Order: sequence, then C-alpha cells, then structure tokens
Amino acid sequence: MGKYRKTVQIVILLAVLVVGGYAIGNTLFAAKDEGIPKIGEQPPDFTLADLQGNTHNLSDYQGKAVVINFWGSFCPPCVKEMPEFERQFEKWKDSGLEVLAINLSEDTLTVNNFVHRFDLSYPILRDVNRKTEHKYGLESYPTTFFVKPDGTILDVFVGGMTEKDIDSRVNQLLQ
Amino acid sequence: MLSLHNTKCECGHQNAVGTVLCESCGKPLIEDAESDAPLEMRYDGVARRSQKSNPNPIDKIWNFFSSVKIAVYLIVITLVTAMLGTIYPQEGSFLNNFKPSVYYEETYGLPGKIYYKLGLSHTYDSWWFITLLVMIGTSLVICSLDRVLPLYRALSKQQIRKHLRFITRQKTVYNGQIDGDAEEWVKQFSAHMKKKHYKVYTDGTAMLAEKNRFSRWGPYINHIGLILFLLAILGRSLPGWQMDSYVSVPDGDTVQIEGTNYYVKNEKFTVEYYKDEELPPELRGTIRAKRYETSAVLYKCTSNCGDDASGEPVLKEVKKQDILVNHPLKYDGIKLYQFDYDVTPKLKSVNPVLVNKETGESYGPFDLPMKDAPLDYTLGPYKMKLAANYMEFGIGEDGEPVTLSRDPNAPAFIFLITGPGLPEKGQPYIYFPMQKDKEKFDQDKLNASIADKLEIKVNGMENVHFAEASTYLNVRKDKALTYVWYGAAISMLGLLLGSYWQHRRIWLRIDDGKLSLGAHTNKNWYGMRADVAYALRKSGIAVDPKSLDNGGNNA
Repeated sequence: MGKYRKTVQIVILLAVLVVGGYAIGNTLFAAKDEGIPKIGEQPPDFTLADLQGNTHNLSDYQGKAVVINFWGSFCPPCVKEMPEFERQFEKWKDSGLEVLAINLSEDTLTVNNFVHRFDLSYPILRDVNRKTEHKYGLESYPTTFFVKPDGTILDVFVGGMTEKDIDSRVNQLLQ
Repeated sequence: MLSLHNTKCECGHQNAVGTVLCESCGKPLIEDAESDAPLEMRYDGVARRSQKSNPNPIDKIWNFFSSVKIAVYLIVITLVTAMLGTIYPQEGSFLNNFKPSVYYEETYGLPGKIYYKLGLSHTYDSWWFITLLVMIGTSLVICSLDRVLPLYRALSKQQIRKHLRFITRQKTVYNGQIDGDAEEWVKQFSAHMKKKHYKVYTDGTAMLAEKNRFSRWGPYINHIGLILFLLAILGRSLPGWQMDSYVSVPDGDTVQIEGTNYYVKNEKFTVEYYKDEELPPELRGTIRAKRYETSAVLYKCTSNCGDDASGEPVLKEVKKQDILVNHPLKYDGIKLYQFDYDVTPKLKSVNPVLVNKETGESYGPFDLPMKDAPLDYTLGPYKMKLAANYMEFGIGEDGEPVTLSRDPNAPAFIFLITGPGLPEKGQPYIYFPMQKDKEKFDQDKLNASIADKLEIKVNGMENVHFAEASTYLNVRKDKALTYVWYGAAISMLGLLLGSYWQHRRIWLRIDDGKLSLGAHTNKNWYGMRADVAYALRKSGIAVDPKSLDNGGNNA
C-alpha cells in the first residue's frame, strides 16, 4: 500500500485539477457569455445561405478581414447604411475585404426586392427564425462587427454607420 | 504537535508517525504513561495515512485537504455564502430581456447595486462558489481516504491479546479475580458472547469479541454518496447535460427547440377561464385562467438538421401529448412544461377572392399567408404576381412604402395583375388584408383606376385565419438529476449503516487468575455495558452494568 501512496496522491490531485478546473473554468467562461460579442473576442460561427442558395460559414473567412452586418428592411438606419457599405465594398474588395450582410429573418420576396433596389453586390445571408441574431445576442439594429484576419473582433458598432465610420475601421482591419 | 520519537512500541511493532495507540498491542504511545483517563479511541488510534515527518509540497496540499478542521471551515463558508445567495432573486430566475445591471439597482436601490456588483446575483454559478464545492469534494475524498484505509487495516488485523493498559483504560472496564482454569473460563464466556451475535476470537487466556464492524464504514459510504452528488452537480456544466429554456409556439406552428434536434408543434392551444361566480368577490370581472393546455407534437429532425440551410429539415414525429401545468411532455430526458401563454391574435393567413366589379364575377378564393406567400396566382382569366409585401406597412421619409417591423401587424401586399382589360405589363394593386389598414391607408385611393375594375377581398371571417394564441413552454433537461438521486441514496444508506448499528468490541485477558476486561463502542454505551454485564452474569460474576463505567462522557 505504502509504495502506491504517492501515485494515489498525484492521481487524485490531478483528477481534482481536471474536474475542478473544468467546472471553475466553465463558470468563468459562462460569465462572459452575456450580451453581444465584445472587442477582442471571437464572434460565434454560423452557417447561412445566401440568396443564390450557397452556404457561407464564418470559419471559411478565417484569415480575411470581414465585416458582419445585421440588417432588416424594417430598420431605417439599416436601409440607409446599405449603399454606404456597397460603396465601401467596391472600394476595398480588391484589398481583400469581405462583407457578410445578415438579414434579420425576413421573407425571400422582401429581401430580394431590397437587394435589387440597392443593387448590392456583397453576399446577403439569410438568418432563419432569428437563430443567428440570438446567437450574437443582438438587442438593436443595425449592428456591425469588424473582424480581423486572426478571427477576433476589432470593433463593434451598434446603430447606423456613415461611410466615414466604415472607412476608418476597414482601414484598420486591412493593416 | 505529534512527536517523532517512540514510534516503535515495546511489543516490537514499528508504528507510523502520528500513531496514538500501538497498532499491534494497543499500548498508548504518546500519552502520559501514568494517566488512567480513558483512551482516545478515534480511528483505533492509528495514524492518518498522510502524516509524515517531512512533508513535500504535494504532501502539504494533501494534508491541507486531509484536515477535518479545514473541511468544517469549508462547509461553514459554503453555507454562509449559499445563504447570501437567497437575499435577492438570482439572475437565473428571470426570463427574456432581463438586464441584471439595471434591475437590481432599480428594484432594491443601493443594497441591490452592491449585491449585483459583488456578483451575489449569480452566487450558485460563480467561480468562487464552484471553487468551494470543488474544495469540499476534494476534502471529502482525501479526508475519507486518509482515514478509511488505515482504519480498515487496523480493524482487519487486530491483535487479540492487548496491552493491559489498553484494556484498563477503556470506558467500560471490569477487573476481578477468576477461580479455576482460565482457558475454560474464557471458553464459556465466549459462548455467551456468541449468543449475543458477537464474533469471538480467542488466544488462550485472551479474547476479542466483536460485533457490527460494518457500521464503521457507514460514514465513508455516506461520503461516496456525497462525492457522487457533488460530481453530478458539477456535471451540469457539461455540454448537453442541462438545459432550462423557453420556447414560444404560435397556434399551428412548428418551432425548433433551440440547442436540440427537436421541434415542437402547437396543434391547438386552449385556455379556459373561471366564470365570474367561481371567483371570490374581489376578483370578479377579472380574467383568470382555470386551465390551459397545448396539444403538442414533438418531432425529431432526421435530416437537413442543424444550421446548414441546404433544405427544409425532415421531421419525424416521436411523441404526441397534451401538455398541461404539472403534466409535462417527457421524451428521452427532455421535458416540456406548460409555462405561459399569449392570447393576442396574430393574423396568419387570409383566403381572399378576386372580384371583377363590372361583371360581379369572383375568382378564387386563394390562400395568402402573411409569411412567405407564393409569388404567382392564376385566378380565372387573371394572373397575379406578388411584387412586394410589407409586414407592417408604412411610408418612409422618402415617400416610398416601407415595413416598420417584421411581424404581421399591418400587412400589405402589392400584386401585379394581368388579364382582360388590363395593360400587358400588368397593373399594380395594393391589398391590405385588415380592414383597419384598408381605411387608414385608403386602399382604393392608392389603387386609383384599377380600384373601379377589380377588388381583392375576403368573404366573411371564416376566410381569415388568426394564430389565436401562442403557448410558452419551458424546456428542461437535467441528466445530472439521476446521479444526484443515486448520490443521495448511497449517502442515505451510509448514514443508516453508521447510525443504526454500533461497532462493539470487548477485549479480555486473564493473567494469573486476574481478569481484565475492557469494552469499546462508538455509541450507545448503555447497550455496551449491558452486553458485558450479561456475559459476566452468565459466567457467574454478578455486576451492576453502571459499575462498569470508567468515566469519560459515556452516552
């Protein structure tokens, strides 16, 4: 019995470290889970279809500068900023900027009409039953996330953005 | 402090550091040799497993958790902090749109703000509370292990002939003279002990009688149960082990239960109210629900599940049940409880007809759902194409029609109609299914010339479909609960073993006709003395049980 004592001690203390560490770590991690993702965090991954039916994973865009914009046709500032994003996308797309505009679970006709009206060229992703917006904990619209190539958030902007607002952040993203 | 000398007993046995009574003969090792006070018999005087003369860092951690004093402190701290968590409601007891940062200060003022800032608003899943639980768990394991192993060893190889001082310093003691053959006397005394269901071991003129040793394992079995209980509670944080969420399902809709592969359909929600005469006078005239239930169907997704939107999910019905308060739908560890309802009607679909105002002919009806309506309709000679729809119609700053929300509060549809008497590229027609909107936005004026020729309208309320009600279900899953029950059961078993039975032992030896008898039990000394007095009386020594008491706080 005596010669196993040390082994038993180490095994039990290690088990405590693993189980306890997991449980405590979980509470620390869960505490951050409230509200929308913050600067420096990784935005939650999603898989959404665009208007052509192609699926997009956020993880596919790892290594690229990505702007994730949540919008709805029912939200006037969203409507207003869409053409500004379009112009910014045109300006920066050759430098590697990606824009993912996630519609807030509206129906196909509404989204199609909207996109044709503004002639948007970046991918419009269709959230279904508000799942992705819940995942992101959104509380107001529009909300825009600027994600660096390393997958962490550079900035979060809640509310309508002007072209200047977008430009300065994209500039930082692409540095 | 424990001294390091004299670990070797006079009987030749080498004892571990911290031994109180020699593991072999029972001679007291560290007490004042001249004392006659009853001995400390805890753990049979053996050393705790981890006691060492020169502990290394791992030993020091181990010794910290091995201390019962530390365990008591930990339990007291946990109890006190658990009490603090009950002062104000915990964050977890609120539903949607709950902002703890605002709520506590607004509701309880400064104390509420402090309560929130200290993190007491989520006491039970705070890192420090979980840390306390982990420490208690560790302490339980280590304390038990350090004591049960040496105790087991000590009890499984007991010396029959004990040191005289060990026997005479028990709490129940008899000393006397024996006439005749000592070995014979021991034999017949043993026979009487056997009648009392003792296990008897003799060694010439010495005897050990023992009963109910298993009750000594009670506390440790109890601890195993508690450890399982604690692990189960910690296990709740494992993914998929626990969920407690809410889902709102409008009448007739099928909604995915977030975070699961299940979908639930609300086939029909019904609510029954108390009649006025059933209510006490002060509540009359108010609406009080008497009974509400959801005819629910639970589906499991078999393909096209998950977030990749490659197609509609394929659902397979797994259970159909009416859900009432306290009668949840249970399936595979998941439980759906009736929680709340909302009876505000929401327009779901209409079945309007297209009327040619000039001839009076009508075509249709056709089905027009508020959400995801089909784009093309053929009605008699007319063809209609849905050009736009608005959930809550309004006019934007630029004069263009916009939708103000994504819920069908004031739906509007713009059709492009082609057919006899209409331009080839079609003529737009705006249709408001709700009468109030029709008037508010002046549908006929918006439609201008076409309003005189054609009209889309519903004939009667049977062609208007509302989602009468939404049911709110509470979805619960708790895999840990099973283990919590097992833990509680094992712990209770241990408690019973430890408290309903007593471990009784009697040692005796006869040296030159002089009988020395000592007895020990962990509780119920009254019964212990009665057993000894019984056997002595049967062996011809009449003795009053009370006179066997050697002092020392005997119960």
